[in-house]
Amino acid sequence: MPGTESTAANSADLANSGLLRTCREAALKAREELDQLLSNEIPGYTSEDTSLVVFGSLARGEWTLGSDLDWTYLIDGGANPDHLLIAQIIQRLLEKNQAKFRPPGPTGTFGNMAFSHDIIHQIGGQNDTNKNTTQRILLLLESCAIGKRTDAYERVILGVINRYLDEDNHLLNPDSKSYRVPRFLLNDIVRFWRTMAVDFASKQRDRAGKGWGLRNAKLRMSRKLIFASGLLVCFSANLDPDLQTKISTDKKDGIKLTLVQHIRDCVRLTPLEILAKSMERYGVPQSIAKNLFDAYTEFLKLLSDDKSRTALDNLRSSDSRTDPTFRRIREISGVFESALDHVFFENKQIAPLTRKYGIF
Amino acid sequence: MKYIGFSTGALARNDFRRALQMLTGKNVSAVELSALRQDELVPLIEQLDHLDLSPFKYVSFHAPSAMERSFEPVALELLLQVAARRWPIVVHPDAMYTPSEWRRLGSCLCVENMDKRKPIGQTAKDLAQIFETVPDASLCFDIGHARQVDPTMSEASAILHRFRDRIRQLHVSEVNTQSKHDPLSLESILAFHKVCHLVPADVPVILESRVEESEINGEIESALNALSADNLLALAGD
Repeated sequence: MPGTESTAANSADLANSGLLRTCREAALKAREELDQLLSNEIPGYTSEDTSLVVFGSLARGEWTLGSDLDWTYLIDGGANPDHLLIAQIIQRLLEKNQAKFRPPGPTGTFGNMAFSHDIIHQIGGQNDTNKNTTQRILLLLESCAIGKRTDAYERVILGVINRYLDEDNHLLNPDSKSYRVPRFLLNDIVRFWRTMAVDFASKQRDRAGKGWGLRNAKLRMSRKLIFASGLLVCFSANLDPDLQTKISTDKKDGIKLTLVQHIRDCVRLTPLEILAKSMERYGVPQSIAKNLFDAYTEFLKLLSDDKSRTALDNLRSSDSRTDPTFRRIREISGVFESALDHVFFENKQIAPLTRKYGIF
Repeated sequence: MKYIGFSTGALARNDFRRALQMLTGKNVSAVELSALRQDELVPLIEQLDHLDLSPFKYVSFHAPSAMERSFEPVALELLLQVAARRWPIVVHPDAMYTPSEWRRLGSCLCVENMDKRKPIGQTAKDLAQIFETVPDASLCFDIGHARQVDPTMSEASAILHRFRDRIRQLHVSEVNTQSKHDPLSLESILAFHKVCHLVPADVPVILESRVEESEINGEIESALNALSADNLLALAGD
């Protein structure tokens, strides 16, 4: 863009350098090892109707030594009592291999079955539980199917995107020359971010402060990254010039399906890749991009270090102002947030959308 | 020892020679020569004398799954040549426009239970009606079709209870919602376990799973596992 510092290629390079690259390669390797383990011990563990989906750092490509394995056995097909048995077989196998794949947290959101009908149909309303919202948004923004058969996973993601767009009355702006920001999807992403923040306090109470430091650090960094990437996916509906050229006003379904495909393509990228791509596209200055990716690298460095991770995991909120590891987290997250502030509030293309859709 | 092998049509569509080549050196003792499409029938029958089938202890033949009514007499004449070899001839019920004519295949006629797409032949009740018209026919029990029709395997159980003694061979694969034959998943294996005790022990098994050559032995292992009740507990880890 004229008048801005070009970042072409730089952001992608930053997102693909040093520790970020190492963690991504480690994630790819861990996914292969997971598939190998499951294929060897439970041949045919997925089917046309079922997928094994992983979330969290493994899906984001940020795998470190202490990462948990957040997984779900996603079902999109006829009811079958054996699905529970298969989920339990997977669970037992992973428990036996927990030295390599640490089990998920105790909330029950992961480590068991999830059903497409709830994920697709129960958006909002009384039956959209915290667990359902979490599974749905993470399925979109940080998930990855393991193994050869991913039919169910692909169908559910497309079903979720279609459902969000079905609820938006008008997908195009009045002049029919550009897409609007998909507001239903965006509102659910914003809601999810706020839910995570509120749940942070709830978990602190439920678990008597145990794990406070690590959860706080994740909220400041990886959870915020998911939120930011989700907003950017929604904004790209309006800002992506290639997408606007595909608008065909004579076919209503065509308009929707083009946007569905655009969003699907966006969320194939990891959150860091979405950020890197957005920075290039919208001409975010290189210095800002560097700050953002450097801060995230530092965050992963801390999580990769057993001593620091343990210190964070054991940290209680009362000691947060004096603990050196947490002080470092605060510094890192300050830089990260400052870079995000620049992207969302100062960039000429993004800032107007943040003002229009992000707050009120 | 149970005879087990593949359908040529599953391994290489419209290329039985390639399929037979793919089976060379694999753990197979059975094969089903497949002419699933009408236009595959003549070329396959013309080549029967020239195929090396010596590695196989059990050979069956799959007649076209659908054909034009006008082709029925032609098909029957050709299939009589197969019957002369005493090979079971697997036929879809809806492909028999004139069942009385198909009686000419005698005990070589082997009727297959159907998937959801077909108009008839899915249930024990359907099969009973069909066997009334072709009383000497045997049954090719497609366990994948039965699971697609009823994943609880209740209908499979009904078919097996009623027609166990008619079963000449099994078709094994995972039949997906589009009625395509996929490799076996754990879901299918667990479903097949529920009725495998009703399947006669030595009945030949023909796999219809669409697999790559490198996957043939693994798929055979999965099929044997699916048909063996002993392996269920090992799989469940209890």
